[in-house]
Amino acid sequence: MTRVRFTNLDKTMYPELKLSKKDVVEYYIRVAPRILPFLRDRALVRTRYPDGIQVDGFYEKDAPSGTPDWVRTFVKYSKSVEKDTHYVVCDDLDTLLWLANLASLELHMPLSRVADTSKPDFVLFDLDPEPPAGIGEAVEAAMIIREALDERGVKPYVKTSGRKGVHVLIHVKPIYSFMQTSGYVHEMAKELAARHGFIVSERRQTNVPGTVLIDYPQNSERSTVVAPYSLRAVREATVSTPVTWDALPSVRPFDFNIYNVPGLTEDPWRDIWDEPQEIT
Amino acid sequence: MSVLKGKPSTRSVWTGRISIGLVNVPVKAYTMIKDESFSFKYVRKDDACPLKYERVCTLDREVVPWSDVGQAVEVRKDEYVVFTKEELDALRPESNKKISLRKFVPLSQVDRVFFDKSYVLVPDKSEDSYGLLLEAFREKGLAGVGTFTLRTKEYPVLVYHYRDSLVLTTLRYSDEVVDPRSYEEIGKVQEPTREELDIALKIMENLTGDFDVTEFKDTFKERVEGLVEQKMKGEVIAVEEPKTEEVRELMTALRDTLAQLQKT
Repeated sequence: MTRVRFTNLDKTMYPELKLSKKDVVEYYIRVAPRILPFLRDRALVRTRYPDGIQVDGFYEKDAPSGTPDWVRTFVKYSKSVEKDTHYVVCDDLDTLLWLANLASLELHMPLSRVADTSKPDFVLFDLDPEPPAGIGEAVEAAMIIREALDERGVKPYVKTSGRKGVHVLIHVKPIYSFMQTSGYVHEMAKELAARHGFIVSERRQTNVPGTVLIDYPQNSERSTVVAPYSLRAVREATVSTPVTWDALPSVRPFDFNIYNVPGLTEDPWRDIWDEPQEIT
Repeated sequence: MSVLKGKPSTRSVWTGRISIGLVNVPVKAYTMIKDESFSFKYVRKDDACPLKYERVCTLDREVVPWSDVGQAVEVRKDEYVVFTKEELDALRPESNKKISLRKFVPLSQVDRVFFDKSYVLVPDKSEDSYGLLLEAFREKGLAGVGTFTLRTKEYPVLVYHYRDSLVLTTLRYSDEVVDPRSYEEIGKVQEPTREELDIALKIMENLTGDFDVTEFKDTFKERVEGLVEQKMKGEVIAVEEPKTEEVRELMTALRDTLAQLQKT
């Protein structure tokens, strides 16, 4: 049924919840039909926790040694390290399970596809609350952004980050540069910051207590966002989960996790692929 | 009807005739059952030197040539009664090159547990009489009962129509088959309650289907053949661990997801 050879399935990944690698693999098996459409054709970055979340994990961009030949890779020259990076592209179930078996708890996706990595198909409003602000404030900022986009005739989708943040995404036609999409988010962020005291638009304001940063530079070719339905490496084994705008105001931080997400029957992002949008 | 995929033999194991009263039909018998199970060759581990068996005297360790080998029965520990070839030949059934069918019975009446090896009987320049016999068997649905001597052993046999041919099946003697009720535990089996039985019957009904032997494959043989190919290409073989309980559980989840992915 699968080409993946599972190893050390009894290894503990989330010690407080006594979850093993087998539970992680099973989680990804069960959400595969929902997560795969987002991973497809993208150069993935993984955060791996071979010894569980209590030990520091590591970011991995390059396909590790021993990558089976049936795993699709995408080669891109990296200016910062002055060499080619061989990214893993997860188009199918086997690749997803292979990644899970490598203890890749978190799967992070770029906002563009491999066909042209310079042209994003997602615009991201990464909402990052600074304590004492928390998910409640991030949700409030998301609702404000939704209203502003609504006025512009744009339909956004929202998901929890699985930590304190909230991600608002617009699926767009791949006709813009990252300069244009980050500029679009920056302009809106400045506008909203001027009207709402708790919203800030610049990274230098990150440390202002009680604010929510709209982190517009996340719209870049090098940046990634945690994929919808990806697990998070936190004690509660939360999941970055798509929600409806109606459900958003009542979302609490640990509402969505490894236990209940596979059983969710409704897909709040059902229509996301229907019509790529324009943002002008 | 299952597809039969065994390769036909090139050499017959027996030639003779089927006789019913005064009618004789010359036939050749070919094996119908091919043993395709996998077997390894024994070699010395270090250099793959092939090994051979030799008959060695248990007292002086000398190799005994075939010409000096005799047959014996051990009557008491270390006490043997030796037979000469002539004595044995006189005991053995005559290979009279004939399958005499003395009785005809409904094939379905013969208990399957007695069936041993099957052979295809093909006409030996006797297409006419063979055709007549075949048609008679086909119309009646009967099996002829008789005896058949192959090499040095006599077997009870059935001859019957099967897939446009006459097939001979050797039968086991009754002292070769165990009555399952002779195991004590069978006598202690408990009667189920009506409720339990109803549930079991429902499950069975849901899983009722047609038998198709081609659903089964000798996967051990396939895996060995795959490994042989890899090894010939000089690939390094990673030893696969046997599947654990955890892997089996994952496979259950995997089956559901694969079905779901196929639908979309």
